[in-house]
Amino acid sequence: MQKPALAQFVENLKSTPGELRRALLKNGLPKSERERSHMSFHNFFLHMQSVKVHKHSLRWSYTLGLGIIATASFIILLVTGILLMVYYKPSTDLAYSSIKDINYVVFGGRITRNVHRWAAHIMVIAVLLHMARVFFTGSYRRPHEVNWLIGLGLLVVTLALSFTGYILPWDQLGYWAATIGANIAQSPREITDALGITHIIDIGGLQKELLLGASFVDEDALLRFYMLHCIFLPLLLTVLMGVHFWRIRKDGGISRPESLDRPGSPDYKPVRPGVFQPGPGKTYGLMAVVKGTRPTVGSAPENTVMALPHLLYAEAAVFMLTTAIVLVLGFYLNAPLKELANPVVPENPAKAPWYFLGLQELVSYSAFMGGIGIPTIVVISLALLPFLDRKGSDTGIWFGGAAGRKVFWQSIAFGTAVTVGLLIFTITQGWLRNWFPNVHQLVIVVFNPGTVLVVLYAWWSIFNLKRHNSIRMGAIAMFTVFLVGFILLTYVAAIHRGPNWEFYWSHSQWPPH
Amino acid sequence: MPIDNPDQDISRGMKWLMLVSSLVVLALLVGVIKSNVFTEWRAHQKEYRKLLLAKAEDEASRESAKSFDVRMQQAVVPELKATDRCISCHTGIDDPRMADEKQPYRTHSGTLLEDHPVGKFGCTVCHRGQGLAVTNEEAKAVHAYWDYPMLPDNLTQASCGLCHDPKSLKGRGGNVLARGAELFETRGCRSCHKLGGRGGALGIALDNEGRKVIHQLVLTDLKGEHTVWNWLVEHFRDPQAIVPTSLMRNPTLTEPEIEALTTYMLSLTTQTFPNEYIASDKVEQKYAEIYPQKPDAEKLYAQFCYSCHESGTYGRWDKVSKRFIPAIRGSGLAVSPAGFLEKQVRLGREGTQMPGWHQQAGGLRDAEITALVAYLRAGNQPVTEMWAPKSAGDISRGQGLYAQNCQGCHGAAGKGGIAPVLASPSFQQAASDAFIVTTVRNGRPDTAMPAFQRPGKTGLSDKDLTDLLAYVRSMK
Repeated sequence: MQKPALAQFVENLKSTPGELRRALLKNGLPKSERERSHMSFHNFFLHMQSVKVHKHSLRWSYTLGLGIIATASFIILLVTGILLMVYYKPSTDLAYSSIKDINYVVFGGRITRNVHRWAAHIMVIAVLLHMARVFFTGSYRRPHEVNWLIGLGLLVVTLALSFTGYILPWDQLGYWAATIGANIAQSPREITDALGITHIIDIGGLQKELLLGASFVDEDALLRFYMLHCIFLPLLLTVLMGVHFWRIRKDGGISRPESLDRPGSPDYKPVRPGVFQPGPGKTYGLMAVVKGTRPTVGSAPENTVMALPHLLYAEAAVFMLTTAIVLVLGFYLNAPLKELANPVVPENPAKAPWYFLGLQELVSYSAFMGGIGIPTIVVISLALLPFLDRKGSDTGIWFGGAAGRKVFWQSIAFGTAVTVGLLIFTITQGWLRNWFPNVHQLVIVVFNPGTVLVVLYAWWSIFNLKRHNSIRMGAIAMFTVFLVGFILLTYVAAIHRGPNWEFYWSHSQWPPH
Repeated sequence: MPIDNPDQDISRGMKWLMLVSSLVVLALLVGVIKSNVFTEWRAHQKEYRKLLLAKAEDEASRESAKSFDVRMQQAVVPELKATDRCISCHTGIDDPRMADEKQPYRTHSGTLLEDHPVGKFGCTVCHRGQGLAVTNEEAKAVHAYWDYPMLPDNLTQASCGLCHDPKSLKGRGGNVLARGAELFETRGCRSCHKLGGRGGALGIALDNEGRKVIHQLVLTDLKGEHTVWNWLVEHFRDPQAIVPTSLMRNPTLTEPEIEALTTYMLSLTTQTFPNEYIASDKVEQKYAEIYPQKPDAEKLYAQFCYSCHESGTYGRWDKVSKRFIPAIRGSGLAVSPAGFLEKQVRLGREGTQMPGWHQQAGGLRDAEITALVAYLRAGNQPVTEMWAPKSAGDISRGQGLYAQNCQGCHGAAGKGGIAPVLASPSFQQAASDAFIVTTVRNGRPDTAMPAFQRPGKTGLSDKDLTDLLAYVRSMK
């Protein structure tokens, strides 16, 4: 007999906590592997990754946790960013004082902003290192080509996010960094000016105006950067990140040496699978056969472990580690905030954010090559990589083994020697313009320290490719020298460039204005 | 074939990492909460409440002291774009009972707050500093990224000049500022610097000098604190010690005068304030500027001429500008044609450092220039004898005579040396033949210019003078 509705209502109300728990966790916390699988299948976030992951994927020494650090930083950035948006006012009149308010009177405001700043730095570093890790382990190869390209997109979006956030406080630092950025966008003018066709087609001017909404950094630029920083780019990044994760699953997990799953190889150390107990009242059938050799078709016992809890532990631990690091940094080191933006008092030197300083150094040789030419060459080379170096037995092995490790160290030595040598030459001797004041600008665009470096790097890469008769060795040589160049140029621009982009050994030697 | 022990917990390391990281996060969150709750201003307000309780004499004031609420306090003045949280620590700023307490509890000195209540004026419009900040160090902002750090007490009068006529504050609490304004008008600062459109062109205009930020100044040789006011003080002590290329002569000021002028400099701004903040004396000052009184030539001379020409009766060599500065008063000018001096004053003299002073250039009104010229000519001897050649002279012969007699002082081709420039269009236009020839013939009393034709017509002959004039007239 049915209970009276009121009694039923009271009873339902009483049993709601238990029901809620059942609805969320089904049969409580999972006890067996089957229940864990069930839980993974039925949870959106858990099911983004496989139910079982390869044991090798959990190795510290392989992934260094860099992808998770980048993801964790992004989540921290989202949370702190939303908190900052509550108080931030995107207008040139109010932006600066709203940041001051966040620093001075909003409860926990200063640490929120500091953490946002540090997490941004860490995300950029983690994304760059993650890319280096994927490169040096050869993980861009089939079937990971598409994910390598998405990763490249994620790198660009990360840099764009960080850069667009720079201007928002509307202080001298961000204002002049944005001005530098806008001038880099304008750099195709160097070519059109040299050809005398700027009045007909002004690509540089168009790009700058598109970025700023005006011919100089002001209200419109601030609103544009705000929109990009808070809406468009985070959305784009979230989508790309989702695809990036999903593709890891589709590509059979992250890369690993194929010898791990080959019975008979010395690396083959399988784990004993847990005993699978069929669920009550369920029937099981083969739903799909996945293309390819993975996941672990034909190799038993399997080399995989349950993602829940092992992968989850690793992810949560790295997430907490990242949180702890940004909190420590944010607690002791304040995010910079200079004077209110002042268009009549230029910062000298006005420096771009650190990750663009290498480019700014190149821009000081040739605006077009540094701002557009060389970055385009680098991005295109990286994008072509998985199609030029497609397959090999050394996938999943750092540097592809001893030979690659040797090429790596040799490339570091070569890259350092060449880059430092050219920098010393340029700083002490000058360049074409100092010797031939009337030289045509196009000559400088084609022949400047930046392009000379690119040519030397390319030569080194081809030299190694031929020497070892291996595309992979050529790629390692190329990637390593570019990485060394990036680090050295960034270092020189950050530490040794002072007012008017002159060379100084240390900041203390700068003439005080 | 080795098989991993399935019971071995492969996530052990991660669990430890998670535990340690979580503990660090927890500790830091506690630290964050602590630093956000136990703030400098809360401690000060609690101390202030104790002071209130100790000073309470009757039941009512004891009750109000007990109910004193510890909370963030700020003066928000949208008209002045000020949000000043200074009163979160200086809670007793307008409480006369706190007159003898130590800072930050002490009452504001003097009676200034009676006419300038905190609620209407805030704090930073006078004291500068960072009103948004809530700690002492950041509020003063002397060594912070803040354009306008808190002014030292002895210079704070500068801010009175924002709404008051500096000169009217003499004896009304603004003696230092008033003295600075007076020095500015009497020490010839306007000879080189414009203020309100009136002044020379050799130095920079000073209209917004008080709003300069430290990054706009040359700091290479500045000793001591890197603040705008310290720069101004050191610059007044010795301009070339701070800016080696400066043309400014050492103003030879006493220390109190330096303080006064620095105060006045800091008061100069092009900022505008709402009408209700402008004092009546400021309105009177503006009125006097728009409807000026009869020009006072002596005062004008001191303002605009003195610092280069000094008394004006002697030509002199100026070490700083490395130039000859001519005499502009005295009997030598008696032979100048009518309008000569006036033209020189109005238009200046190209090729020299003498700027034009007419309304659009140096900002002087016609009546003022007329008065100034009359002042310059006063006491000149009446013209006795003027002589001008009747016929055209021989330029090339004149050139030879110039090389022998004139070039040593007036420079090759009249470009100037230790004597005035002759190859200047404004000189060529304004000087008549008779003026030039008579000056060469008779010399210029009180200056280095000798007479070239002595009594009895020794020295240069009339023919020589005619040829010389022809050459001088050919100068461009």
